[in-house]
Order: sequence, then structure tokens, then C-alpha cells
Amino acid sequence: MQITINRNGENHGPYALEQVREMVANGTLQPTDLAHYEGASDWVPLDQVPGVADSGAPPVLEAAAPAATPAPTATQETFVPTGEREHEFRVECKPDFAYLTVQIPANQTLKVEASSMATMSTNMEMKTKMKGGLSRFLGGESLFINEFTAQGGPGEIGIAPGSPGDLEHCYLDGTKEIFLQSSAYVGSGMGVEVDSKWQGFKGFFSGEGLFLLRCTGRGDLWFNTYGAIIEIPVDGNYVVDTGHVVAFTGGLQYGVESVGGLKSLFLSGEGLVCRFSGQGNVWIQTRHPTAFAQWTFPFRPTKNN
Amino acid sequence: MQIEITHRPGNSAARVSLQAGETITAEGGAMIAMSGHMQVETTTHKRDKGSILGALKRLVTGESLFLNHFTPNGGPGEVIFGTALTGDMMQFQMGSGPALLVQAGSYVASAPSVDMDMSWQGFGKALFSGESMFWIKLTGTGPVLINSFGAIYPIQVNGEYIVDTGHIVAFEESLNFEITKAGKSWMASFLGGEGMVCKFIGQGTVWCQSHNAGSFGTALGPILKPH
Repeated sequence: MQITINRNGENHGPYALEQVREMVANGTLQPTDLAHYEGASDWVPLDQVPGVADSGAPPVLEAAAPAATPAPTATQETFVPTGEREHEFRVECKPDFAYLTVQIPANQTLKVEASSMATMSTNMEMKTKMKGGLSRFLGGESLFINEFTAQGGPGEIGIAPGSPGDLEHCYLDGTKEIFLQSSAYVGSGMGVEVDSKWQGFKGFFSGEGLFLLRCTGRGDLWFNTYGAIIEIPVDGNYVVDTGHVVAFTGGLQYGVESVGGLKSLFLSGEGLVCRFSGQGNVWIQTRHPTAFAQWTFPFRPTKNN
Repeated sequence: MQIEITHRPGNSAARVSLQAGETITAEGGAMIAMSGHMQVETTTHKRDKGSILGALKRLVTGESLFLNHFTPNGGPGEVIFGTALTGDMMQFQMGSGPALLVQAGSYVASAPSVDMDMSWQGFGKALFSGESMFWIKLTGTGPVLINSFGAIYPIQVNGEYIVDTGHIVAFEESLNFEITKAGKSWMASFLGGEGMVCKFIGQGTVWCQSHNAGSFGTALGPILKPH
């Protein structure tokens, strides 16, 4: 759980729950400071954040965390935010207009989705890379990743994703694997490998661009949503409209299907859905760009012949 | 049935928790995610009362043609609803009070104990105004989910009050209304861009949305590719 602190109108963090409890214990933070944590609908006094006040009992998230030195497994079941991070960063203007600022140490590089850089220090140098290849163009999707290097000294980059919405951070520790809907990618550390995984017929058929990026390796990973983000712990079976899938952990099985029977496929208005099974996390978005675009269609002008 | 509305007001979504065997009925296309054991049934109208006529009425009202009924199979489950446009959602508890008239595009979901009547077209006479003036009449008991474009706010009417037709989300049937012009003459009203307004008379609540979806669409129109 990531917690953002607001004192005197200024945002700090986000911090992991453990960091926050430490700062409360040593007096850096006051229980009356305003806090916003993932999933909360509003700012609340810090002592009302679950797990902060009752420092005696460990919060649920930590209880579910793996042991200090987990044996690396091929499939990580559940993604547990540990507050670990590679870079110093902050996310402001959450949850409707999340904006990311990352500090980059001297001569180090960060991967950022093309055209989402909004501000940067003058010593940042940019190189363009393309991910994906032909299959992505066939699907009408392309992902260009720019590499920003802080030349000679530390630098800073401000990243504004294309869609207004929320932004999530994950730290990949080398054992985890996260799949991203390609348009959700915002940026990552150099140790994170970003692979496009051709969905073949099942992804293509959905018509909703279920093109996935497979993120592995070690380092920070940021992704964004159109609309708010909802994290769903899956234990068993969960269904998400393909257009609302943002990301999911690698241990989950997934398949694209229609809701209900054949009648429902064409009549329900729900299109195709993605069924996840197993144990892991799925992140979904509350809005869907295609649905919005379709809403605008009746307002298009008519062509004059 | 428990309904929790999250991420208000801009990106609101409704998480509906159902006990085994409980059902929620929603507008086609509203579901964004749900438990894996959720049974989905698609009908043209209220369950067990499906008719082609009902479907046609829904087509005319500008709502998607079909309703989906979600029932968890074997154990409790949840379903999450979202909307196409940015905006808020509201939960309304139907009870002994008056019927609720909801603008067709604002209806999201309701319990099966709430009756939907799409044939009610008291606003039909306002059709030529160019604004969608079709309404769903809800009666019975149970929760109803409604969405708005922008924020949603209630106005207690006691006497008379005027609301632009594009800003009405829902209102109680205890109110009488008349469609009227905003200015002194029809010409002035249309030139002033206000077109038709609705004058509510009596006692009851009107829920309004801060933004007019039609105006937003009209603003976007010229920059969209012609078809």
C-alpha cells in the first residue's frame, strides 16, 4: 500500500506503509497529517489509515508478504507492494490527473514512453527506441520508448501520461513478472525488460487492443490508466472487460471470451471479456478510451460530396 | 446487496456485492469487471417480461437495446460498473416515496425489485428540441444506480424552478413539469443557445448534472473527422 502525505497543501511521497509507520514513530509525521492511500476515496487524517495507528499488529499486506529472502520462483503468485524502489520519485495530482517526477542519478538512464515527457533538467539527453515490431503495427498499436540519460550530474524528469487518470508504481525484484496493456506503459528502470507479446487471434479478435507487454527483470515500473485505477486481488476466477484491463501479475492464467452465451456476445453490449484464473493481482481502469470515442461518433460532421 | 461508489466524482465506479442468488440488472455495456462465477443473462427488457416491443422502446429511448442481469452462482460475488463519460454516480434507494424519472442515458443499474417502464414519454412533445428527452420511469423498492456527466447535485423544489433539459439527471414524479422557452420568445431562446428548459412545479427533488453532455459533444463535433 502506497501512502501520500499532505502537509500544508504540499504532497509528499508516496511512501510504503512501513516507511510511514517509521516516520510516525520517530515524529517526522503527525497522526493529524492528511494522507491518501491506494483505494481510498478521499484524504483522511493519517491515524485513520488502516495499519498506521495500530502499530502493534502487522497490517494484512505485510502479513501476506513473502519471507525476507524468498526463493526465486518462476511464477510469482501475488504482487505485494513492499515500498522498495530503485529511483526517488513522486506522483502528484492523484487520482484524476496523476503526474510523475523521477530523480535520475548522474549518468544513469530511464526508459519513458515516447511523447509523455513534460519537463526535464537541461542535462537530460534523449535517445529513441522502438519496441514491438510488425505485429504491433498490424494491430494499430506501436510503442516507442525513449531513453533519457542524466549527463554529467543528477537530473529530473517530469512525465505526464497521455490519458488523464491514475498512475501506479511497481518494483520488480527479479522474480516478478507483470503484463501491461501496451497503452498503460509509462516508464521503467533500465533493469526492467519490456517485451511485447503477440496475442495472436484471441487478442486481435477483441478489437480492443489487448496487446500486452511483458515486464520482467529488476527495477521500477510505472503504468497509468484512463480514469481511476482499481486493484483486484484475484483468488480463483475474475472477469474484466478487455478494454478495462490495465495490468496483471504473471502467475495468472488468462483467456478472452464472451460474457454469457452467444446471444450475449452480440446483444449484451459487453463485447469480449478477459477471464483471469489462479492467484495474483489485476489492475483495472474505470474508464475506457474506446467507449468515449464511440460516444463522440454521433457528433461527427457529415462529409460533403 | 451492497453498493459502494468509489473514485468520486470524476472517475466514479460502482462496486456491487451480491449474495448468492441475488441479482442486479444493468444497462448493456456498463459492466467493467466481475467475479468469475457471475452468471450473465441478456434480455431485451425486465427479466421474464422480455418482448420485442420493449427492445424497440429501449432503442428509441437512446439506451442500449439490452439489459444484463448479473447473478453470482454458488457463492457471493461482485460486479463493478463504470460509464463512458467522466462523471459521478449516485445510489438512490427507492421506497415508499414517489416514482423516479431518470434520463435514459443516466440509468446504470437497479435491483430486480425495481420496476422499469420505458413507455413513459411525458417529454415526447419536446423531441423537436434536438435534445434527448426520453425517460425511464422507476417504481418499486430497492437501490438504483444513476450516473451523471460531471458532478451531480440535488435541488429541492418547493414552488417553481427552471432547469435546462440537458442538465436533468432524474426527478421525483411528485413534481409536475412543463417544457418551455428560456427567453421571452422562441427566437430569442434558440439564438441564446438555451433552447428548451424544463419548469418544475410542486414539491420534490430534481438531480442535476454540472455539465451538459450534448453541449460537450457539440463542442467536439467540428474537430472530429467527418463520416
